[in-house]
Amino acid sequence: MALKADIKILVVDDMSTMRKIIKNMLTQIGFTNISEADDGATAWPMIESAIKEGRPYEFIVSDWNMPQMSGLDLLKNVRSTAGLEKLPFLMITAEAEQGNVVIAVKAGVSNFIVKPFSAQVLKEKIDKIFK
Amino acid sequence: MNSESHFIEFSKPFISAAKNVFETMVFTKIETQKPTIKNDDVSRGDISAILGLSGEIEKNGSLSQYKAMLVVSFPYETYFKAASAMLGETYTSYVPDIHDLGGEIVNMIMGNAKRDLKTMGYTSNMAIPSMIEGKNHTIKYPSDTHIVLIPFNSDHGILFMELCYTEEVE
Repeated sequence: MALKADIKILVVDDMSTMRKIIKNMLTQIGFTNISEADDGATAWPMIESAIKEGRPYEFIVSDWNMPQMSGLDLLKNVRSTAGLEKLPFLMITAEAEQGNVVIAVKAGVSNFIVKPFSAQVLKEKIDKIFK
Repeated sequence: MNSESHFIEFSKPFISAAKNVFETMVFTKIETQKPTIKNDDVSRGDISAILGLSGEIEKNGSLSQYKAMLVVSFPYETYFKAASAMLGETYTSYVPDIHDLGGEIVNMIMGNAKRDLKTMGYTSNMAIPSMIEGKNHTIKYPSDTHIVLIPFNSDHGILFMELCYTEEVE
Protein backbone atom coordinates (compact mmCIF):
# COMPACT_ATOMS: atom_id res chain seq x y z
CA MET A 1 0.00 0.00 0.00
CA ALA A 2 1.49 3.33 -1.10
CA LEU A 3 -0.46 5.28 1.55
CA LYS A 4 0.69 5.39 5.17
CA ALA A 5 -1.09 2.63 7.08
CA ASP A 6 -1.71 4.92 10.06
CA ILE A 7 -3.45 7.83 8.35
CA LYS A 8 -6.21 9.04 10.67
CA ILE A 9 -9.57 7.86 9.30
CA LEU A 10 -13.11 8.62 10.52
CA VAL A 11 -15.93 6.26 9.49
CA VAL A 12 -19.40 7.81 9.85
CA ASP A 13 -22.56 5.68 9.58
CA ASP A 14 -25.71 5.42 11.69
CA MET A 15 -25.89 1.64 11.18
CA SER A 16 -23.43 -0.14 13.48
CA THR A 17 -23.17 -3.15 11.17
CA MET A 18 -22.15 -0.98 8.24
CA ARG A 19 -19.54 0.83 10.35
CA LYS A 20 -18.13 -2.55 11.29
CA ILE A 21 -18.12 -3.75 7.67
CA ILE A 22 -16.33 -0.60 6.48
CA LYS A 23 -13.80 -0.80 9.34
CA ASN A 24 -13.15 -4.47 8.50
CA MET A 25 -12.60 -3.58 4.85
CA LEU A 26 -10.24 -0.70 5.71
CA THR A 27 -8.30 -3.01 8.03
CA GLN A 28 -8.16 -5.62 5.28
CA ILE A 29 -6.76 -2.96 2.91
CA GLY A 30 -4.07 -2.24 5.52
CA PHE A 31 -5.22 0.82 7.50
CA THR A 32 -4.70 0.81 11.26
CA ASN A 33 -5.92 4.14 12.69
CA ILE A 34 -9.70 4.09 12.30
CA SER A 35 -12.27 5.89 14.50
CA GLU A 36 -16.03 5.82 14.11
CA ALA A 37 -19.05 8.08 14.61
CA ASP A 38 -22.74 7.14 14.51
CA ASP A 39 -24.02 10.30 12.78
CA GLY A 40 -22.79 13.45 11.05
CA ALA A 41 -23.82 15.31 14.22
CA THR A 42 -21.46 13.10 16.25
CA ALA A 43 -18.68 13.27 13.66
CA TRP A 44 -18.54 17.05 13.31
CA PRO A 45 -17.42 17.81 16.92
CA MET A 46 -14.88 14.96 16.63
CA ILE A 47 -13.47 16.57 13.48
CA GLU A 48 -13.33 20.00 15.19
CA SER A 49 -11.64 18.58 18.33
CA ALA A 50 -9.07 16.72 16.25
CA ILE A 51 -8.13 20.02 14.54
CA LYS A 52 -7.79 21.79 17.92
CA GLU A 53 -5.60 18.97 19.21
CA GLY A 54 -3.36 19.37 16.16
CA ARG A 55 -4.07 15.83 14.97
CA PRO A 56 -6.76 16.33 12.32
CA TYR A 57 -8.46 13.48 10.50
CA GLU A 58 -6.84 12.79 7.17
CA PHE A 59 -9.68 10.87 5.52
CA ILE A 60 -13.47 10.80 6.10
CA VAL A 61 -15.65 7.88 4.94
CA SER A 62 -19.29 8.83 5.46
CA ASP A 63 -22.73 7.43 4.77
CA TRP A 64 -25.15 9.82 3.05
CA ASN A 65 -28.45 9.08 4.83
CA MET A 66 -28.24 9.63 8.58
CA PRO A 67 -31.02 10.83 10.90
CA GLN A 68 -29.53 13.96 12.50
CA MET A 69 -26.87 15.33 10.17
CA SER A 70 -26.61 13.79 6.69
CA GLY A 71 -23.32 12.97 5.03
CA LEU A 72 -24.00 15.78 2.58
CA ASP A 73 -24.36 18.35 5.38
CA LEU A 74 -21.25 16.98 7.06
CA LEU A 75 -19.38 17.38 3.75
CA LYS A 76 -20.64 20.98 3.40
CA ASN A 77 -19.43 21.75 6.96
CA VAL A 78 -16.04 20.25 6.18
CA ARG A 79 -15.64 22.12 2.90
CA SER A 80 -16.61 25.46 4.46
CA THR A 81 -13.99 25.13 7.23
CA ALA A 82 -10.58 26.70 6.72
CA GLY A 83 -7.95 24.04 6.27
CA LEU A 84 -10.43 21.27 5.38
CA GLU A 85 -11.22 22.40 1.83
CA LYS A 86 -9.25 19.46 0.43
CA LEU A 87 -9.73 16.87 3.19
CA PRO A 88 -10.33 13.55 1.34
CA PHE A 89 -14.02 12.71 1.77
CA LEU A 90 -15.56 9.48 0.44
CA MET A 91 -19.37 9.42 0.40
CA ILE A 92 -21.24 6.13 0.67
CA THR A 93 -24.88 5.78 -0.29
CA ALA A 94 -27.47 3.06 -0.79
CA GLU A 95 -29.19 5.05 -3.49
CA ALA A 96 -27.80 4.46 -6.93
CA GLU A 97 -29.40 7.47 -8.60
CA GLN A 98 -27.29 9.66 -10.86
CA GLY A 99 -28.77 12.81 -9.30
CA ASN A 100 -27.06 12.03 -5.99
CA VAL A 101 -23.64 11.87 -7.64
CA VAL A 102 -24.13 15.32 -9.16
CA ILE A 103 -25.21 16.82 -5.82
CA ALA A 104 -22.24 15.29 -3.99
CA VAL A 105 -19.75 16.39 -6.66
CA LYS A 106 -21.10 19.96 -6.51
CA ALA A 107 -20.62 19.88 -2.72
CA GLY A 108 -16.98 18.90 -3.21
CA VAL A 109 -16.94 15.15 -2.53
CA SER A 110 -13.62 13.43 -3.31
CA ASN A 111 -15.26 10.22 -4.52
CA PHE A 112 -18.52 8.34 -4.29
CA ILE A 113 -19.38 4.70 -3.66
CA VAL A 114 -22.76 2.97 -4.00
CA LYS A 115 -23.71 0.09 -1.71
CA PRO A 116 -23.27 -2.83 -2.05
CA PHE A 117 -19.50 -2.72 -2.59
CA SER A 118 -16.52 -5.00 -2.03
CA ALA A 119 -13.21 -4.26 -0.26
CA GLN A 120 -11.59 -4.23 -3.72
CA VAL A 121 -13.94 -1.49 -4.95
CA LEU A 122 -13.31 0.51 -1.75
CA LYS A 123 -9.55 0.18 -2.28
CA GLU A 124 -9.86 1.36 -5.91
CA LYS A 125 -11.82 4.44 -4.81
CA ILE A 126 -9.26 5.24 -2.10
CA ASP A 127 -6.39 4.79 -4.57
CA LYS A 128 -8.07 7.28 -6.93
CA ILE A 129 -8.56 9.81 -4.13
CA PHE A 130 -4.95 9.67 -2.93
CA LYS A 131 -3.12 9.19 -6.23
CA MET B 1 -51.68 -1.98 -17.80
CA ASN B 2 -53.50 -2.45 -14.52
CA SER B 3 -52.24 -2.50 -10.95
CA GLU B 4 -51.49 -6.25 -11.07
CA SER B 5 -49.36 -6.00 -14.22
CA HIS B 6 -47.60 -2.97 -12.71
CA PHE B 7 -46.84 -5.16 -9.68
CA ILE B 8 -45.08 -7.75 -11.87
CA GLU B 9 -42.81 -5.17 -13.51
CA PHE B 10 -42.35 -3.41 -10.15
CA SER B 11 -41.05 -6.66 -8.57
CA LYS B 12 -38.26 -7.37 -11.06
CA PRO B 13 -35.73 -4.71 -9.94
CA PHE B 14 -35.96 -6.02 -6.36
CA ILE B 15 -34.91 -9.52 -7.39
CA SER B 16 -31.85 -8.35 -9.33
CA ALA B 17 -30.96 -5.89 -6.54
CA ALA B 18 -31.20 -8.67 -3.92
CA LYS B 19 -28.90 -10.88 -6.00
CA ASN B 20 -26.36 -8.06 -6.25
CA VAL B 21 -26.48 -7.22 -2.53
CA PHE B 22 -26.17 -10.83 -1.34
CA GLU B 23 -23.37 -11.66 -3.75
CA THR B 24 -21.32 -8.53 -2.96
CA MET B 25 -21.80 -8.10 0.78
CA VAL B 26 -23.20 -11.37 2.17
CA PHE B 27 -20.78 -13.50 0.12
CA THR B 28 -23.37 -15.89 -1.29
CA LYS B 29 -25.26 -16.26 -4.53
CA ILE B 30 -29.02 -16.50 -4.05
CA GLU B 31 -31.20 -18.69 -6.20
CA THR B 32 -34.82 -17.65 -6.76
CA GLN B 33 -37.45 -20.28 -5.99
CA LYS B 34 -41.04 -20.25 -7.23
CA PRO B 35 -42.93 -17.11 -6.10
CA THR B 36 -46.36 -17.58 -4.52
CA ILE B 37 -49.16 -15.27 -3.39
CA LYS B 38 -49.21 -14.98 0.38
CA ASN B 39 -52.62 -14.84 2.03
CA ASP B 40 -51.70 -14.50 5.70
CA ASP B 41 -49.57 -12.17 7.82
CA VAL B 42 -47.28 -14.72 9.51
CA SER B 43 -43.60 -14.37 8.63
CA ARG B 44 -41.89 -17.39 7.08
CA GLY B 45 -38.70 -16.46 8.93
CA ASP B 46 -37.75 -15.66 12.55
CA ILE B 47 -36.17 -12.25 11.88
CA SER B 48 -37.75 -9.82 9.41
CA ALA B 49 -36.39 -6.58 8.00
CA ILE B 50 -39.14 -4.30 6.71
CA LEU B 51 -38.99 -1.20 4.54
CA GLY B 52 -41.92 0.88 3.37
CA LEU B 53 -41.94 2.74 0.09
CA SER B 54 -44.30 5.18 -1.54
CA GLY B 55 -44.33 7.33 -4.61
CA GLU B 56 -45.91 8.04 -7.96
CA ILE B 57 -46.05 6.13 -11.20
CA GLU B 58 -46.63 7.82 -14.51
CA LYS B 59 -47.78 5.58 -17.37
CA ASN B 60 -49.28 6.77 -20.66
CA GLY B 61 -50.02 10.21 -19.31
CA SER B 62 -51.89 9.08 -16.20
CA LEU B 63 -50.49 9.55 -12.74
CA SER B 64 -51.11 7.12 -9.86
CA GLN B 65 -49.94 7.02 -6.27
CA TYR B 66 -48.53 3.74 -5.07
CA LYS B 67 -47.58 2.20 -1.73
CA ALA B 68 -45.27 -0.76 -1.41
CA MET B 69 -43.38 -2.73 1.18
CA LEU B 70 -40.24 -4.83 0.99
CA VAL B 71 -39.67 -7.54 3.60
CA VAL B 72 -36.72 -9.90 3.87
CA SER B 73 -37.25 -12.66 6.44
CA PHE B 74 -34.57 -15.02 7.70
CA PRO B 75 -34.74 -18.20 9.79
CA TYR B 76 -32.41 -17.65 12.79
CA GLU B 77 -29.76 -19.99 11.38
CA THR B 78 -29.64 -18.14 8.04
CA TYR B 79 -29.47 -14.74 9.74
CA PHE B 80 -26.59 -15.77 12.01
CA LYS B 81 -24.63 -17.28 9.12
CA ALA B 82 -25.24 -14.19 6.95
CA ALA B 83 -24.17 -11.90 9.82
CA SER B 84 -21.05 -14.00 10.43
CA ALA B 85 -20.13 -13.78 6.73
CA MET B 86 -20.73 -10.02 6.55
CA LEU B 87 -19.00 -9.04 9.79
CA GLY B 88 -16.21 -11.60 9.90
CA GLU B 89 -17.15 -12.93 13.35
CA THR B 90 -19.21 -15.93 14.46
CA TYR B 91 -22.72 -15.16 15.70
CA THR B 92 -25.05 -17.78 17.18
CA SER B 93 -27.66 -15.56 18.81
CA TYR B 94 -29.54 -12.33 18.05
CA VAL B 95 -27.17 -9.99 19.88
CA PRO B 96 -27.37 -6.16 19.58
CA ASP B 97 -24.31 -6.13 17.26
CA ILE B 98 -26.40 -7.67 14.50
CA HIS B 99 -29.82 -6.12 15.16
CA ASP B 100 -29.59 -3.62 12.31
CA LEU B 101 -27.94 -5.94 9.79
CA GLY B 102 -31.24 -6.98 8.17
CA GLY B 103 -32.24 -3.32 7.95
CA GLU B 104 -29.01 -2.52 6.16
CA ILE B 105 -29.67 -5.37 3.69
CA VAL B 106 -33.19 -4.15 2.80
CA ASN B 107 -31.87 -0.59 2.61
CA MET B 108 -29.27 -1.63 0.04
CA ILE B 109 -31.78 -3.70 -1.96
CA MET B 110 -34.25 -0.80 -2.00
CA GLY B 111 -31.57 1.74 -2.91
CA ASN B 112 -30.45 -0.35 -5.86
CA ALA B 113 -33.99 -1.13 -7.04
CA LYS B 114 -34.89 2.58 -6.85
CA ARG B 115 -32.58 3.42 -9.75
CA ASP B 116 -34.24 0.86 -12.04
CA LEU B 117 -37.73 1.83 -10.85
CA LYS B 118 -37.00 5.42 -11.84
CA THR B 119 -36.23 4.39 -15.42
CA MET B 120 -39.58 2.55 -15.43
CA GLY B 121 -41.51 5.68 -14.43
CA TYR B 122 -41.70 5.22 -10.65
CA THR B 123 -40.60 7.93 -8.25
CA SER B 124 -39.97 6.55 -4.78
CA ASN B 125 -39.49 7.70 -1.20
CA MET B 126 -37.92 5.23 1.17
CA ALA B 127 -38.88 4.95 4.84
CA ILE B 128 -36.51 3.91 7.63
CA PRO B 129 -36.13 0.11 7.91
CA SER B 130 -37.50 -1.70 10.96
CA MET B 131 -36.83 -5.15 12.38
CA ILE B 132 -39.13 -7.77 13.96
CA GLU B 133 -37.79 -10.86 15.70
CA GLY B 134 -39.47 -13.97 17.12
CA LYS B 135 -40.90 -17.32 16.06
CA ASN B 136 -44.12 -16.94 14.02
CA HIS B 137 -44.14 -13.15 14.27
CA THR B 138 -46.67 -11.32 12.15
CA ILE B 139 -46.16 -8.47 9.69
CA LYS B 140 -48.53 -5.54 9.29
CA TYR B 141 -49.04 -4.97 5.58
CA PRO B 142 -50.70 -1.91 4.04
CA SER B 143 -54.43 -2.67 3.55
CA ASP B 144 -55.75 -3.98 0.21
CA THR B 145 -52.39 -5.12 -1.09
CA HIS B 146 -51.31 -8.28 -2.83
CA ILE B 147 -48.30 -9.95 -1.23
CA VAL B 148 -45.82 -11.94 -3.28
CA LEU B 149 -43.54 -14.34 -1.41
CA ILE B 150 -40.26 -15.23 -3.12
CA PRO B 151 -38.06 -17.84 -1.41
CA PHE B 152 -34.30 -17.73 -2.08
CA ASN B 153 -31.79 -20.50 -1.50
CA SER B 154 -28.32 -19.36 -0.43
CA ASP B 155 -25.10 -20.84 0.94
CA HIS B 156 -26.24 -19.60 4.37
CA GLY B 157 -29.67 -21.28 4.11
CA ILE B 158 -33.13 -20.33 2.88
CA LEU B 159 -34.53 -16.80 3.19
CA PHE B 160 -37.70 -15.10 1.99
CA MET B 161 -38.38 -11.85 0.20
CA GLU B 162 -41.89 -10.43 0.29
CA LEU B 163 -43.19 -7.57 -1.76
CA CYS B 164 -46.57 -5.94 -1.56
CA TYR B 165 -47.90 -3.20 -3.79
CA THR B 166 -51.05 -1.16 -4.23
CA GLU B 167 -51.89 1.88 -6.32
CA GLU B 168 -54.58 4.51 -6.45
CA VAL B 169 -55.41 6.46 -9.61
CA GLU B 170 -55.71 10.21 -9.04
